[in-house]
This record gives sequence, C-alpha cells and structure tokens, in this order.
Amino acid sequence: MNQFEFTRRLFLQSAASVATAAGISGISGVALAQANELKIWANPGVHKVGAKDWSAMESQGGISIAATAKSARADESIQKMVVGDGNRLFDAITDNGGGMEDALASQKAIVPLDTSKIPNWKNILPTYNEGGPAADTIRYKGDVYATPMISNADSMAYDYKTLGFHPDSWGVMFDSQFKGRVALQNDFGPTLTNMAIYLQQSGKIEIADASNMKPNEVKAVCQFLIDYKKKGQFRTFWDGFQNGVGLLASGEVLMSSCWEPIQIIANRKTGDKADIRYGTMKEGHQTWNNMIMLTKGGRQRGRDALYYKLANVYLSPWFGARTLAGLGFGPQMQGVDAYIKANPKDFSASTQTRVLDILKRKNDRYAIKGNAWQNVFPTHLRAYQDWWARLQAA
Amino acid sequence: MVPSNGATIWRGRRDPASPRSWRRILGENGVQKWAFYIPVVFMTVFLALPMALTVVWSVFERTQFWMQPGFTLFAYETFFTSARAENYLFSMIHAAIAVVISFALGFPVAVFVRRRVATALQHRVVLLFILPFMISELVRVFALRPILGRNGVINSVLMDIGVISDPIMIILFSPVGVVIGDVVSFLPFMVFAGFLAMEAVQPYVFEVCEDLGARTVRAFRDVIVPLAAPGIFAGGVFIFVNSVGGALVPTLLGGPGAVNAGLIVNQAIVAIDFPLAMAISAIMMATLMLLLYLGHRLFDLTKVLQPIS
Repeated sequence: MNQFEFTRRLFLQSAASVATAAGISGISGVALAQANELKIWANPGVHKVGAKDWSAMESQGGISIAATAKSARADESIQKMVVGDGNRLFDAITDNGGGMEDALASQKAIVPLDTSKIPNWKNILPTYNEGGPAADTIRYKGDVYATPMISNADSMAYDYKTLGFHPDSWGVMFDSQFKGRVALQNDFGPTLTNMAIYLQQSGKIEIADASNMKPNEVKAVCQFLIDYKKKGQFRTFWDGFQNGVGLLASGEVLMSSCWEPIQIIANRKTGDKADIRYGTMKEGHQTWNNMIMLTKGGRQRGRDALYYKLANVYLSPWFGARTLAGLGFGPQMQGVDAYIKANPKDFSASTQTRVLDILKRKNDRYAIKGNAWQNVFPTHLRAYQDWWARLQAA
Repeated sequence: MVPSNGATIWRGRRDPASPRSWRRILGENGVQKWAFYIPVVFMTVFLALPMALTVVWSVFERTQFWMQPGFTLFAYETFFTSARAENYLFSMIHAAIAVVISFALGFPVAVFVRRRVATALQHRVVLLFILPFMISELVRVFALRPILGRNGVINSVLMDIGVISDPIMIILFSPVGVVIGDVVSFLPFMVFAGFLAMEAVQPYVFEVCEDLGARTVRAFRDVIVPLAAPGIFAGGVFIFVNSVGGALVPTLLGGPGAVNAGLIVNQAIVAIDFPLAMAISAIMMATLMLLLYLGHRLFDLTKVLQPIS
C-alpha cells in the first residue's frame, strides 16, 4: 500500500465512520426528540402563554410540543377527529366549546384520563368536582375525558363614557333609545343562549333549559329577536374577532354581546375616546370552557405521560395567571390571585390591580344563578339552524 | 454507426436522443397531440367530478357527524321551505344590482379608454385597474368601514360642510353596504371584460355613427352595447358569481345576519349538515348554468372567444 492509497483509504474510512456516527446520533437524536414530542392541535392565540411560540409551555412541562394551528370551528374538529385523519396526526387536541367532549367520546375519538397522574389536578376549581356545576363539561358517562384550560362567562361590552351608566341587564340592548347602536354575535349558539337566558330569567318566555331549547322555545326566542331586528334595533351581527373589536372601537355601536378579549382589545384601541367595559348581567350569561383531550391515537402511540405533563401545565397557576393577564380568560385552578401577588416581578402593581379586578368581575359573573353552559350540539340543532336563517332573512 | 443524416442508429433503431426523435416525440403526433387532453383530464377530475359528487351527496342521508348513502330530497325540502331560499333570492338580487352598477360605472371607462387613449397606452391604462387586486380583498373591504361608517369619512365630510345633520346609516351594515362592497371589489372585472369586448367595435363604427347623426347616448345604446354584449355579459357573470358566493362582503359590510349563498353553505357546514350544504351548492350550480344558457341564447357567448377581425 503506497502512501497515497493509505491516505485515501484512511480518509474514506474516517469519513464513513464520522458519517455513521453522525447518522446514528442524528437518528437517535430525532428518535429521542420524537419520543418526547406531543403533537397537539390547538388554537395558538388562546391555548399558549409565556412566549410567542410554544417554548415557554415546553419548558414548563419538560416536553417538546409540535403544535398545529386550529380554528375555532367545532365542525372542523369533529370532522377531523371522527371521519378524518385527526387520530393519526394528533396526540392531543383542544376543543371549541361545550359539548364537544361528549361528541368525541361517544365516537371513541378521545380516551378517558387518569387524573391521579396530573399533580395539579388537586388544585382544580371545585366546580369541576363530581356533582359540581361544571362537572359534566369534562366527563362522559362519569369518566373524565378532558382537562380544562380556560373558561369564561360571555357578557356584554359597552361604552361607559357615552352611556354614563353600567348596564346590568341584557334588556338594555332592547331599549329604543339605543336603536341602531347594538350588535350581537353572528352565531346562533351563544346569541340564542344568552337571549334565552334573558327571556327566561326576566319571565318573558318560559324556557326549561337555555342550553338545550326545544323547537318552540327556539322559535319564541328568534321571533323576539326578529321583532327587534325589524324595528332596526341592531346595527349588525359581528363575525370574527377583529370585526367585533372594530365595531366597538369605532363607536359604531355602544354595546355588543361579545367575548371578553374583544372588550379588552377594543378598550386598548380607543384610548381616551371611549371607556369600553364588560358588564355583569343579572339574568346570567352563557358560560363555556376550553379543554385539552388525549386522542385515541395518542394513547395508541404511548403519549399519555406527555399529555399529563402538558395538562399539569394548564392546571398550574403559572398558566392561569398569564392567560388571565393576557386575554382575560378565566383560570381553571385555585390560588391564582395568591400566585399573582407572590410574583411582582412578572406582574407589576398596576397589572396586579387590573388582573385581579378582571378576576373579581369574572367570579361575579360565574356566581349568577341564571348562567347556562354552552352546548355546541343541542338536541334540536335543526330548529336552531332553521330559525337562525329566518332571523337572518327578516 | 452514424448514418448520413447525422442521427445515431441504436441497435437497429434510431437513437431516442437524436434531434429528429425528439421532434417526433414532441411533434404534432406526439406530446402535442396528447397535450390537448391534459385540460380535459384536469377539468374532469377537478371540476366535473366534484360537481357530480356534490349532486350525489346532496341526496345522501344526514348522520350525526357525516352522511350515509341513500336517496332523500330532505335537504332540498329544507332549503326551499326555510328562510334559506329567501336569503338566497335576496343575495341574487343584490348581486344583480351590483352587476348593473358595475356596468354603469365600468363599461364607460372601457369605452373611454378604447376611444380616447392612445393605442400604445391603452393596455397600460387598463392594467392600472389590476392594482386593487394586489391588495388583499379582506383589507380592501375592511378599509371601506372607516369610509362608510357612522363616524366615517363620508359622514364626517358631509356633516362638516353642513349637508347633513345626522350620519347616513344606510351605506354601511345594510344591503346598500353589501352592493357598494361588491361594486368596489369586482368593478375591475367589468372594465377588463368591457375593454376586451370593445375590440369587437372597430373605430370606424364610431365614425359611421357620427356621420349618420346618431347622438352619443343612442350610439352607445343601439350600436356599441349590442356589439360588445357578449363581453359585457361575461364580465357580469364574473361579478354575479363572486357576489353570490363570496363570504367576505356581507360579513363585513352587511346588516344584522346578512348572508349570501356562500355563507348559507358555510353555515350548513358549521352545523355539520353536509347534505344541506351540498344541496345548496347544487342549486347554485344549476342557477349559474341557467344563467349561462340564457346568456348564450341572448348574446351568443361563442362570440366572446371568436378571433377579432
């Protein structure tokens, strides 16, 4: 073997060794990363806190997250998970409103949980305990299928500066002096539920269950709205976050039934021109929560432990305090106020005041007797659809 | 082995890499012949087949979260016996008004460009109408709100100069707002179609009209519009279809619960009622086909595609 041949052979052998070593370490690195990776389908704007990406959530949970953005459409989620490839693609998914966990569990798209593996479960809001008002929202046939992340009681936003008083009833929306200055959400679920609560609690219409109305009850609620629509009471029905913000921030309407983040952002946009606040309605509100669920595919792939770690983050005051301070969503665990006060570095004095005020008002809304839970799949869904179309045509 | 013409003989046949062989493969009897079938295959797979499936699925039976094979006209019955048919009809009326206004505004622009702008500049001027399309439609439509709103530019100016004392509310969040949005969004379609249609109207036509003493309005109504009718109709169809099917304009500019055909379909899908969504889509397709048939009978749409002489 001459010197040249020796050098060439040595070079090739070395290169092959390096490549093999790199390949093995690379494959094992990828394999390791994949083994510690939870594939989730979630709303990136709502279901993460701490950073623009998922890094803060990852470091809190000690896991790697591969997230796919999800819209807020319940039909899309149901489709993907029940008849689509959702179980192949995702280990865990978040929901889009009340009733989805029942639908997914009944179709065996999600699996029951062992809550003893989630340490923070002991701090969950008592409302979720068995027999509690929100117990059914995370259970299907008695088994827990979901971990709650955020919740709220949807209400009415109003411009206090122009109105000069704090509305405490949905009935203000139907006062003729505000004709053409009122907006409702363009979605039959929350709008009909909130209006049903108002009509039920004010004794105007007899409604047994505002979350799950019978066809004649749906008809009565819609006829009430049709009557006011014909009188020109409503400026428009808003659709989409920015649209809802724009209506309030531009002064186009003085009050609007909407999500709390819409009020928060609209108030930031208006500055001193208006004072947009979120009320507490004495009749009640539609309450809802968002949850994260372990898919059948996730369990088959052995991702239970990763799911429990992420669920533990969602039930930590770290998450609860940040989701409350950010978009004003309700935390799902106890002790958030103490956590906020104990962390002045993360929550300045002014932020503490603002956030604790939001929490207090939120708790006031939760306490209203007439509240009804969101139900994305009411028994008489067809009646809701048909009467909503009539309201649109009126 | 190399024959006299330069092509290599390869095991008794011509070398497939030779220029002549490539010419044969790519020639009129080769790829070119089959290339014409590519659009046919594309249209079959991506247009005809989905349309056929839409009709088939519209008669399937609805299940809790999907649908199952069967035959029922329940979705059609639901459409026609609920307020959806009414909503659909109103959206067609609004679309038709948008077409008429777009014609009134856009076609004279096309005629003007053809008649008054130097030939070398005509295409450049018309291309200016593409500029709005460079901006997202969402932004364009949303930008109308600060203009048409209660405290918008129009109301502010009119109130400042004392023309009105209260803001005009009908121009936003109303059917009028929807028509304004449709016209603003889709007017360029009419300008383009009108400009192309005007190729069929030779310059001497205008001279003949003038020589015969026809006034501008009469020449426009009795000579120019009939000659350009197929192109105008094509532009109108573009606007009509977009207006009936696009969800953005009624969502952002419409009144309480404003819908068009596209939004009605969307709402059926949201409610996981797929047969109903398919039935409404099938009705939309039938409407458009009827429209095209009537247009063809009235204006002979083959003229749109005829070479300009």
